[in-house]
Amino acid sequence: MQDKRLKYLLVVPAVLVVFATAIWPLIDSLRLSFTVGRLTRPNFPQAYIGLENYNWAFFDEPAFWNSVTVTSIYTIVTVALTTLIALGLAMLLAPGGRLRSGVQTLLILPFAMSPALIGVSFRFMFNPEFGLFDAFFGLLFPPLADISWLSDPVLAFVVCVIADVWGWIPFLTLVLIGGLASIPRDTIEAAQVDGAGGWRVFKDVTLPQLMPVLAVVLILKAIFSLKTFDQVYMLTNGGPGTATQTLSHYIYFNGFKYGQIGYSASVAWLMVIPMLVLTYFYAKFVFRKD
Amino acid sequence: MTGRQRKQFWNAIQIILILIAAGIMIIPIIWIFLAAFKSHVDVYQLKLFFSPTLENFSTVFQSPYDLGHKLFNSTVVAGVTVLFAIPIATLAAYSFSRFRLRGETTLLVMILATQFVPAVVIVLPFFVMFRDIGLLDTRTGLILVNLAIVMPFAIWMIKGFIDGIPIDTEEAAMVDGSTRLQVIWNIVLPMAAPGLFTAGIFCFIIAWNEFLFALILTNKNAVTLPIGLALFKAEEGDLWNLLSAAGIIIMLPMFILALTIRRYFVQGMTMGAVR
Amino acid sequence: MARVSLTNITKRWGDFIGVDNQSLEINDKEFLVLLGPSGCGKTTTMRMIAGLEEPTAGEIRIGDRVVNDDLPKDRDVAMVFQNYGLYPHMTIFDNIAYPLKVRGTPKAEVAPRVEKAAAQVELTEFLHRKPKALSGGQRQRVALARAIVRTPKVFLMDEPLSNLDAKLRVTMRAELKHLSRQLQITTVYVTHDQIEAMTLADRVAVMKNGVIQQLGTPDEIYNDPANLFVAGFIGSPAMNLINGSVKDGMFVTTGGTSLVKVGISDRDAVVLGVRAEDVEIHQPGEGDIDLKVYAYENTGESVMLTVQFGQQRVIARGDRHLRMDMDDTVGLRLNPDHLYLFDPASENRIGNG
Ligand SMILES: Nc1ncnc2c1ncn2[C@@H]1O[C@H](COP(=O)(O)OP(=O)(O)OP(=O)(O)O)[C@@H](O)[C@H]1O
Ligand SMILES: [Mg+2]
Repeated sequence: MQDKRLKYLLVVPAVLVVFATAIWPLIDSLRLSFTVGRLTRPNFPQAYIGLENYNWAFFDEPAFWNSVTVTSIYTIVTVALTTLIALGLAMLLAPGGRLRSGVQTLLILPFAMSPALIGVSFRFMFNPEFGLFDAFFGLLFPPLADISWLSDPVLAFVVCVIADVWGWIPFLTLVLIGGLASIPRDTIEAAQVDGAGGWRVFKDVTLPQLMPVLAVVLILKAIFSLKTFDQVYMLTNGGPGTATQTLSHYIYFNGFKYGQIGYSASVAWLMVIPMLVLTYFYAKFVFRKD
Repeated sequence: MTGRQRKQFWNAIQIILILIAAGIMIIPIIWIFLAAFKSHVDVYQLKLFFSPTLENFSTVFQSPYDLGHKLFNSTVVAGVTVLFAIPIATLAAYSFSRFRLRGETTLLVMILATQFVPAVVIVLPFFVMFRDIGLLDTRTGLILVNLAIVMPFAIWMIKGFIDGIPIDTEEAAMVDGSTRLQVIWNIVLPMAAPGLFTAGIFCFIIAWNEFLFALILTNKNAVTLPIGLALFKAEEGDLWNLLSAAGIIIMLPMFILALTIRRYFVQGMTMGAVR
Repeated sequence: MARVSLTNITKRWGDFIGVDNQSLEINDKEFLVLLGPSGCGKTTTMRMIAGLEEPTAGEIRIGDRVVNDDLPKDRDVAMVFQNYGLYPHMTIFDNIAYPLKVRGTPKAEVAPRVEKAAAQVELTEFLHRKPKALSGGQRQRVALARAIVRTPKVFLMDEPLSNLDAKLRVTMRAELKHLSRQLQITTVYVTHDQIEAMTLADRVAVMKNGVIQQLGTPDEIYNDPANLFVAGFIGSPAMNLINGSVKDGMFVTTGGTSLVKVGISDRDAVVLGVRAEDVEIHQPGEGDIDLKVYAYENTGESVMLTVQFGQQRVIARGDRHLRMDMDDTVGLRLNPDHLYLFDPASENRIGNG
């Protein structure tokens, strides 16, 4: 068979699957977002109501804005913390050797853990009576001893952030180690001979060369922070109140607890937009010409 | 301090930091492991020493928890998802890697983008559709939606691996008279095998750990392990010893799978973004 | 201005010995060339001087200071890396300026010095490009410029001309020679190129498997090789090495041909060395031995004849006007004043012709 036709035939099944499982639902979500779409009423999805759902989100729902705020802060804090810590850890582990590559291997374990399980584990760790981290923080800083972490809006948020950062550090660290390894050793040694001390080598030579990888990692983490659901669901279920209710959780709640599919589709689409912007930047880096 | 002493000093600091980091990463996991072997009484105390018991593991497999059924569901769903995803993704990845297609970049970006779309967005129409055609709470339904998250990932990852295989061997085989399909079967597949294996493991882990779809689309028959965790929230609070045992059942197989692909980990995970 | 001394330096990785207990004194202002086959430890030696590699044992001094414990940045050396080590994210200008900037050179001084260094390596027009946009040879010159922009105590140059085309290499060689005379800075220079070694060096150290085989002036290395390895390594084409024995004051090849009178007492096993230019080509019957031409090569400036006797081949260099063909017969005579004799067991030189 001619390559000319074969090359298209080869991609057809994959493209079909992607369209059926991702593109179609995406578009159908958009359609649903213009309908009443209440599960509780007959003749689903019912009438089209134009931008009514969006209006509702923007003007009549403080809970929507609450989850926007929660998600934004959550994203900024987790992205910043995870990236910084992972960068530090990657610098520590990159040189190799037995201890360091051993720890690198350990890092694979938390990555393979399901986020839902991470959520559960951290609820366990921060249990005020017998949680390990609770005991540890109590020892470090006595006012925190036996505090009921998850009942306090701020502390619950903090625990969510800690769980997220804990779960993501391994992956980011490993990727950054890969990035560091691809920096030619020569350039670093040249800088040392040229007279640069440790910090200057990092600032002038290592960091600029790591930038493309760092950017990819930042965007990737931002995307996943924005859609956080599993951990929060298992850890706090959005609570106390709505203190840790992320957008994904808000959409889930409205759609499947209250049966307002149309409304939650509209919020979902509002969430798709920043995601597409981030994807655009991500793709730019992935397709960058060198 | 001389240069070397300063270096040794910093090295010592580094080792301490590394050990602390390793501790923070590993201690929660160890703690869960320990808790899984603690008795109902011990788990509610900060005990390091206790008399270990296997009781939790037998309890979770019995009614009402019935973890065996969830284990079965998880295995089937993740396994079948991978069995579909990898061959389809491989064909596409080969074509993307070796040929220039019209609209290739657009297609690839689109596939990439679908991976980043929040799962809640995708699940809404599926829920509505499954409700109408009776696929709610079935493994088939779950497999279908899982393909949505696994496919783009697999295509990109396998493409990355195939990109790394030099094209010379293929060209030599073509010159020697092989057809394109023979080349794919005889040359590319064996050479890409570690990559396909890695992609398969990654996809299996992702599908295994998948939470949101299973939460929304299943409630009894097709419930998977991560959702099963919710069973251990009892009236009187969480049953931590049972939760931990279930946790081990969820994570241990994934640990083993992840360790088998340690060498390709970073390469695979970044889908060619990091070179 | 500094002498560099290595005392009993060893570098080991696990069981593998990169440099084996070597001592080397490099005088102030001296231009020392390290020469040797790939993997013999040239780069390793250089990296230990730079402080990029820590010697397993031994002491390194630069000037009066033991520098073993000093970091590279405190050793005040400039290095040209074998693989250049350019900063890919900086322009050529910034690459060359970096050693000045990082050492706090006043701003006003930086630009003129960078421009001067760039001019010396003929790179002026590329200053605003990034390394990616340069050819291999151009990159190598950037690496060179980055080293010569400063006046360090020691220059370390790891095959700095290896990627230049033949013509540019000659120009840059002259430039380097001029520069080193002018700047009078101690230089350690690694090369594979013998002409580079012969023309640039005050002294040459020939290395093999982490051991310095011979240390001497280019003249000594060429005309007075200490052992079989140096004899075979230096010179192009390589010195002819013929196995045989000495009987009644005559060198006899393994094949039984009595070849030439030599000045050592009889022994069973001997290797006779003679350079191609010391094998004289005569009409048949007029030399020590008549042989058939195995190959004839005209290089332009001279011709090379390969002849074969028994299992061995010998190359002779002849006048560029000499015309021959395969299977022609020639008479060869070995110049008795330029013969070298080696002991095949110890590989050491045991005498001259
Ligand atoms: N980090 C290392 N670990 C183990 N072996 C090494 C290391 N660095 C160098 N070697 C080995 O030490 C030997 C000497 O290496 P070196 O780079 O000094 O050779 P060289 O003389 O510069 O060769 P070339 O002319 O090819 O540049 C080589 O056999 C090399 O494989
Ligand atoms: Mg070298």
